[in-house]
Amino acid sequence: MEMIERYLEAVKFWLPKRQKDDIIEEISADIDSQIEEREAGLGRELSEAEIESILQHCGDPMKVANRYLPQEQLIGPLLFPIYRFVLKIMFLCCLLPTWLSSIWIIVYDHVYRAQQIHTSWLAAFASAWSVWLTTAFVTAGMVTLGFAVVERIQQKSHFLDEWSPRKLPPVRNPNQIQRSTSIFELAFALLFFVWWAFIASAQTIHLGNSIRVELSSQWVWFFWGYLALAAANVVLSSANLLHPYWNLRRASLRLLSDFAGAALFCLLLRAHVVTGFFAASLTNDQSLQVIHVLDSWMDKAFPWSIVVSLVIVAVGVYRVVRVKPQGASTA
Amino acid sequence: MNPEPFENLRLELRRGSVVLAVLAALRREQYGYTLRKTLSDLGLEIDEGTLYPLLRRLESQGLLNSQWREEDKRRKRFYLLSADGARVLEQLLAEWRSIDRSLEEVLKEQSHGND
Repeated sequence: MEMIERYLEAVKFWLPKRQKDDIIEEISADIDSQIEEREAGLGRELSEAEIESILQHCGDPMKVANRYLPQEQLIGPLLFPIYRFVLKIMFLCCLLPTWLSSIWIIVYDHVYRAQQIHTSWLAAFASAWSVWLTTAFVTAGMVTLGFAVVERIQQKSHFLDEWSPRKLPPVRNPNQIQRSTSIFELAFALLFFVWWAFIASAQTIHLGNSIRVELSSQWVWFFWGYLALAAANVVLSSANLLHPYWNLRRASLRLLSDFAGAALFCLLLRAHVVTGFFAASLTNDQSLQVIHVLDSWMDKAFPWSIVVSLVIVAVGVYRVVRVKPQGASTA
Repeated sequence: MNPEPFENLRLELRRGSVVLAVLAALRREQYGYTLRKTLSDLGLEIDEGTLYPLLRRLESQGLLNSQWREEDKRRKRFYLLSADGARVLEQLLAEWRSIDRSLEEVLKEQSHGND
C-alpha cells in the first residue's frame, strides 16, 4: 500500500492547489475499487507486483495530473506559423550576418586580433560563439515574449477573427516589377551617373573650396567601373519601366550588375585609394591622421560589406531562379 | 500501412463520442469506477486518466452534478446528469443522428458509384 501512497503523492505534486485533495481522493477511490474487484475475482490479496501493474496502467503521475490542468499554450496554433516565420527572418537577417562577420573579423582583422586575442584561436572562436549564442537566445526570447503577449491579447479580444476577404492583399506575380521601384531606380541611376561623372572623374576631388582629396592611380578603375554600372542601370531600369516583368535575361543582367557593384565596393574598401587629404585648417600630421582613420574605418567596414554583398547576390540569384516563363515577361 | 495516422484519427473520432456516451450513461447516477465498467461492458473502453478529468470538465460546465457519499464503507463521488446536461445531451444526440444519417448517405452514394 505504500506504493499507492507514493503514487498518489507524486500525482498530487502537479495538481492545481485548490483541487488537490478532492482529485486525489477520487483517484484513490478508483484504485481501491480496481484492487477490490481483482481481489474478489482471485479470492486473495494482490501481490505488490499486481498492484504495481495497476498503477502502471493508471499512467505516469505527471501525465495523469496534467489532464486535470487547464490547456494552456504560450503561443497558439493561430500565431505559431507567424512566430516561426519571424524567427527565421531574425536568424537570416540578423544572427547569420552577425555570426559571419564575427568569424571574418577574427580571421582577417589584424587590429582586432591584436587587441582581443591574447590566448589561442580556439578561445577567440569560443568567445565569439558564446557572444553569438547569447545574442541568439536574447533575440529568440524577446520574439517569444512578444508573441506570448500578442497571444494573450488575441485570446481576450479575438482581433484575428475580424477579417474580410476584401482586405486581403492582391495575388502577387513574382515576375512583376513595381513601376514605382523602376522610377526610383532610374532616377537614382541617372543622378548618380551625372554626379559621378562630374565629381569623381579626376584623381583630385575638391569638396567645397577648402577640402582637397588626392586619390591613387587605382581610382580610375573604380571611376570607370561605377560609371559603366550606372549607365547599365539606367538602361536596365528603363527597360523595367517599359516592360515591368522580370525575364531570365534581365534578371541575369541585374544579378551581374549587383555582383559587379558589390565586388567593386569591397575592392574599394581594401584599395586604400585616399593618398592625400588637405584642408586649410589641418596640419600635415592631422591630414595623415585623417587618412589613417579613413583606412581603419574601411578595414572595419570590409567584413560587413562582404556580408551585405553576399545578401545582395543571394537576392539576385533567387530572382533569377524564381523567374517563370510567361507571355508578359518577354522584353 | 503506417498505424499512426489511423490511431490519431481514431482518437479524434472517439473524443466527441466519449463525451456523448458519458452524458448518456449518467442519466443514471453512478460513480467513476462503475461508469467506466458500464462503458467498458458496452464496448467503449475509457481509461481513468481520461474519464475523471472529463467528468470534472463537464461538471464545471454545469452539465453534471456530483456529490461525495459513503457506499460499502467507502467514500465515493457520484455523478448525475443535470437539467442543463439533459438538454445538451438531447441536442448532441440529434446532431449525432444527423451526422450518422449524412454519413450513411455518403457511403451509400459511394457504393452506388463503385457499382
